[in-house]
Amino acid sequence: MSGDTTPPSDTALERLFYHGEKVRLVYWREFSGAKTAVLLTSLVAVLAFVTGLSNLSREVRYDGPLAAVIPGDPGFVQFTGVLLAFVLAGLVFGLQRRKRLAWYLTLLTLPLVTLLPLTTFQTTDVPLLVLLAVAVPLLFVNRSAFDQRIELSSLQIASLSSVLGVGLYGTVGSYVLREQFGELETWGDAVYYVIVTVATVGYGDITPLTTEAKWFSLSVIVFGTGAFTVAIGALIVPAIEKRMAAAFGNMTPSELSLLEDHVLVLGYGDITESLLEELADETDVVVVTPDSDRASALDDRDVNVLTDDPTDESVLEAARIGDASGVVVATRDDARDVLTILAARKANPEVRIVAAANDRRHVDKLEQVGADEVISPMEIGGRLLGRSILDGGSALSPLEDEEG
Amino acid sequence: MGIQGVGVVERLLRKLLAPLFVLSGAVVVLGFFFPDLVGETVSGRLWLAVSLVFFGSGLAYLAVLPAGDDEGGAFDPEYILEVRRLGLRETVKGFLSRQDPVTFGVPVVAFGLFFLGQLLVPSGTVTAVDAAQGLVTTYAGWLFAVVAAVSVLFCLALLVGPWGAVKLGGPDAEPAYTYPVYFTMFFTAGIAAGIVFWGPAEALFHYETPPPYFDAEPRSEAAIGAALTYALFHWGFSAWAAYIVVGVPIAYFVYQRGAPLRVSTILAPFLGVDGLGSRWCRLVDLLAVFATIGGIATSIALVGQQFLAGIDFQWAVTFGTVGSVLFVAGLTLVFVVSAQSGVHRGIRRLAGVNVVLFGLFAALFVVVAPRGVVAGSASNALGSYAVHAVPMSLYLGDGLLADPWVAGWTVWNWAWWLSWAPFAGLFLAALSRGRRIRTVVFTGFVATSLATMAWFLLLGSTSLHLQHAGIVDVLGAIDAAGGDEAVAGFPVFEALPIGRLLMFLFLALIVVFMATSADTSTLVVAVLSTRRELAPTTGAIVFWGILQGLVAVAVLVTGSAEILQAMAVLTGAPFAVVVLAALVGLAATLLREERDHPSIVEAARSRLVDRGEDADR
Repeated sequence: MSGDTTPPSDTALERLFYHGEKVRLVYWREFSGAKTAVLLTSLVAVLAFVTGLSNLSREVRYDGPLAAVIPGDPGFVQFTGVLLAFVLAGLVFGLQRRKRLAWYLTLLTLPLVTLLPLTTFQTTDVPLLVLLAVAVPLLFVNRSAFDQRIELSSLQIASLSSVLGVGLYGTVGSYVLREQFGELETWGDAVYYVIVTVATVGYGDITPLTTEAKWFSLSVIVFGTGAFTVAIGALIVPAIEKRMAAAFGNMTPSELSLLEDHVLVLGYGDITESLLEELADETDVVVVTPDSDRASALDDRDVNVLTDDPTDESVLEAARIGDASGVVVATRDDARDVLTILAARKANPEVRIVAAANDRRHVDKLEQVGADEVISPMEIGGRLLGRSILDGGSALSPLEDEEG
Repeated sequence: MGIQGVGVVERLLRKLLAPLFVLSGAVVVLGFFFPDLVGETVSGRLWLAVSLVFFGSGLAYLAVLPAGDDEGGAFDPEYILEVRRLGLRETVKGFLSRQDPVTFGVPVVAFGLFFLGQLLVPSGTVTAVDAAQGLVTTYAGWLFAVVAAVSVLFCLALLVGPWGAVKLGGPDAEPAYTYPVYFTMFFTAGIAAGIVFWGPAEALFHYETPPPYFDAEPRSEAAIGAALTYALFHWGFSAWAAYIVVGVPIAYFVYQRGAPLRVSTILAPFLGVDGLGSRWCRLVDLLAVFATIGGIATSIALVGQQFLAGIDFQWAVTFGTVGSVLFVAGLTLVFVVSAQSGVHRGIRRLAGVNVVLFGLFAALFVVVAPRGVVAGSASNALGSYAVHAVPMSLYLGDGLLADPWVAGWTVWNWAWWLSWAPFAGLFLAALSRGRRIRTVVFTGFVATSLATMAWFLLLGSTSLHLQHAGIVDVLGAIDAAGGDEAVAGFPVFEALPIGRLLMFLFLALIVVFMATSADTSTLVVAVLSTRRELAPTTGAIVFWGILQGLVAVAVLVTGSAEILQAMAVLTGAPFAVVVLAALVGLAATLLREERDHPSIVEAARSRLVDRGEDADR
């Protein structure tokens, strides 16, 4: 038994203890991603809700380290658990979409969530604290994953800022005029009055007493409710539109309204995929096809689609053919191509129309009805094949020569 | 082999366990947050059962989760072969042909006979075994004391001496387990629910009846220091050294000499690697199987009783033997599932859960414990342990005869640790390929001891403080429960904030500590009982797991937990001899073969010199 012979390995050892790669205690990379951070945040929301409800459901002593620091009645802390849970639920929605703003707000909200457990410090509060101790660092570590900006339309920005403006105007104004209001004494009363008024609830506990105050209140009602209603519409309608559109594989009118200098691809045929690849990096593309299966498949890949008949001029106008930089007509059927070219030419006499002929005998016919250029993919393919076998060179070189 | 977790049974298990876990979890969460509401509709027993189902199904589900993302991969060819021979007789024949006749047959028959004897002549066995245990711990006490002391010295020598630099498996071997998982798996395998039960209790017992070495008044200020010091002594370096002195020789001969992975490998210096098939080796392996099953099965049975005794004490929810048997059955399911799923799946994950819960409990306990008092008495106890460790190791009380206190506590304790040493040592050896001996000793001797001692200081000094200051009468509670250490934790936690959460965690720790030891021991017994050239099949692992569960159930039904424990302790005596022999053998081999390694001092000096030269340039 000398030391330098290679020892035979024990089968039990190899089979049970040494197979495959290195064994780690925790495979951190699987558990420390942004997904886990979002999941933990949503768990915090659930736990904050349950803990808050649990504390509300019975008599609680205030044993925690923060109980002495909190000014006033610590009872209001009871409600923060449930309230912040709702806030967090909304933020989780944003985090799932990797929104930067949601990330910032979540990091602001999570410390507030500790307020409740650190004030009451019951047995039931500890899981929430432990979870928070894990969620906050994980969220911080994954900060680079939450990089999506919130994109608001000009209408949304305008309505939101006018709501804010009216709110400020109403609060400051009613506080300044507090002598002329019944039961309005503090800043809190002013905020309460403005929100109740703007939201069209109007309890009527605070009322203007003088004519000046009445005029002021009217202005808050007119501008405030107006801005409030518009803001709700501007924020919610696009979301609903998007849902509806996603179900049908359609673009929303607000998305369509943003199009300019785009290329319309009318019809979906064998060459559409390679066409889209070619165009994707260069310009915005909108595909119009009546085939709803194709449409939703394209929509899933974030290609702009309109599920409708491309031979209908009103559809082409909805796709903003007037602002388009070009139109490609390529359905599977040359007869439909003719109708489509006619419709496109009628909707925009100026636009450049390129068509693909499925049969090369139809090239001149398509030109006659208004296409600026007609290409027969079959003919080009056949020529390339022939050139390639005769010259022995690359099949693509003749194409480049032609272009040159 | 269910290595990747694509087997049909495992898939079925996953489908069953997931909804069970979620449903019971919902009830547990509701009960935790709204105790009044749930308390009205759910009885205490049902509530406990649901909680245990929740925790157990969670652990089992975790164990059978597939490894990596290779779910639905190609079928294991071996599995397809197994499907082909479906006949029961062929299956049994195939199973038996893989087993070693001695280490498989003898234990199975012996445990059968033991329980038969228990059923027929209960009193006779009890007196005989009790007398034997008394004789061994009293008259052979010096042997255990010597083994414990020598083991510690040997560990220290390996830690600082030149042999620590030997890399197991050759200089190019890479460890297959990262350090955290290496420590975690060994720590959780080497210690069972005892650490949880005895944490708050051990020091209290010594406070009530102080060790004769310290000659302190019972329940006095002096007894506090003595009690904590002895708790550290019984669970600290001397205890963990027992695992090292079995594990390191096995590891050395397995990786450097190509010996098989068995306990008997520690005899290699005397018999040669080729002579390891001899009768003596069979005997050692057989003893190891007995010690392991005896040690683990009695622990499982005792945990089953004590867990429910604690519940009964705290919440007055009574269970009979049926409750204990059901508990043991559930626990058996968990650790069998974990053991068969393999080291890198179930055993690793449960160990991870265990350590996380352990750390969480300790952290929460530090937050709510009287920290000033704990820090004071802990530092005193550590100082006293440092001063008295050597004389305590050599103290027997009555010359070479052990004093009744020393025989009942210290010697019994060494024997119990030694009876666990075969399986824990073998497991340590199996994980250690690619590690230096110094790392092995540091992990299994220093790191584990420090973790255990921190735990005992934290819980022990808190319970002592509460008892001594008259805040809680923990000893009274223990006496009321018939001297059962299992209840000690509850009055302590009740006196602290967030006590209810601590109790939940405490109970969870008991379950998971037991499961992490039992799954490893199942694996080790399966290795030992399989023929030398073969690896144990999933069937063999499941068989031994169920057998351990059955032994535990039989122990509960026949009420023979103490007897079997005494017998397991008795196997510690021959192991004490074997360990001494192994140490001599290993030391001789290391002296002969491993001369030119640097000691830790030399290594440090040469590194310093290198750095100095680098700086000069």
